[in-house]
Amino acid sequence: MSAGAPRRIAYTGEQSRRGYHMTKLFASLTDPAARAAFKADPDGAMRAAGFSDAEIALVHAREFNALLERGVAIYALGKAGRALGFTLVDAGARMRGETVEAFLASRPLALGTAVRG
Amino acid sequence: MAGRIVGAIGSSHAPSISFAWDAGHRDRAEWKPFFDAYEPVKAWLKGLAPDVLLVVYNDHFNRFKLDAYPTFALGCADRYPVADEGSGPRALPEVPGHAALSWHLARSLVADEFDPALCQELALDHGVMCILPLLDDPPWTMKVIPLAANVVLHPLPTARRCWKLGEALARGVASFPDDTRVVVMATGGLSHQLHGPDFGFVNPEWDLEFLDRLERDPESLLALTHDDYMDRGGAEGVEVILWLAMRGALSGRPFKRVHRHYWAPMLTGYGLIALEPT
Repeated sequence: MSAGAPRRIAYTGEQSRRGYHMTKLFASLTDPAARAAFKADPDGAMRAAGFSDAEIALVHAREFNALLERGVAIYALGKAGRALGFTLVDAGARMRGETVEAFLASRPLALGTAVRG
Repeated sequence: MAGRIVGAIGSSHAPSISFAWDAGHRDRAEWKPFFDAYEPVKAWLKGLAPDVLLVVYNDHFNRFKLDAYPTFALGCADRYPVADEGSGPRALPEVPGHAALSWHLARSLVADEFDPALCQELALDHGVMCILPLLDDPPWTMKVIPLAANVVLHPLPTARRCWKLGEALARGVASFPDDTRVVVMATGGLSHQLHGPDFGFVNPEWDLEFLDRLERDPESLLALTHDDYMDRGGAEGVEVILWLAMRGALSGRPFKRVHRHYWAPMLTGYGLIALEPT
């Protein structure tokens, strides 16, 4: 749990325009044909969508915070994860800078104290 | 004879609910308290026998992409497919709609100065479809009218705008000439944040306060800004403003609370509330 207001990137028009090409490709992965093409050749699909070499490298390095700062929408990143094989929790732990095990250990259910009300 | 709102529901949504349901994990320790909480609401709904479930929810780039992003979008079809969200189709049948009431609501809303996109093709994502199987059994007995709202791409509609949308929906239902029983449901929230170094932020204290105020003092929630909501409930938790549309649909009407549940085990404060006009 975090104390105080969480740090966040508001997904504004400016932010969405910055990463439009990346969000567009990842959001398109709801289409089975686009998904198959992306899975078969992720780099080719990303290049065709206008990703720079640096952006492609960030995807491979799973530098999710950097991708979000560059305007990828979080729900689009989730679709990239479904295609590339990382889960929301995998991505979340990475964004927090900790292991998945450490993250899960910090969760209320893991501690047996999930909040009811 | 007229349309009538016979119940109102607020519920969280999450893709993991769909995964857990589809994988048959409802009796696992990490999910059982969540799924069990829907049983009383499902039984209550069966007794209410609504014709229509009018769902105010948000899509997650499954139907609406950045090329054209509507602030409000109303389903106006007789059937809605279940969206492929990126992992293939779910084993759920398409959902019946109620086009006559949808088009009546479209006319009523626009006359009331709400101008939704009118959708004759609207694949429903987990904003609707992670919850529907918990409230109804396929083949679905309730018809669904989906109303998607933008809580993803700023600028978002204000909390007060969502409340007014609910009031306008209630006027639209009440002016529908055919005897039709409607339950209004909003999905989203409660607190959660899915991005950045504070991924996993959950604020149960605020969620419980929100549920209290939603029921007893909803107008106190209308002046809160999106930043107020995101400070308290996380960036993605701003979805909770959609609950004000549900509550606004009961504006000025006495009601009783039928059910309330809260469970914050992991990434999201899961809230559930059911209200019945008296």
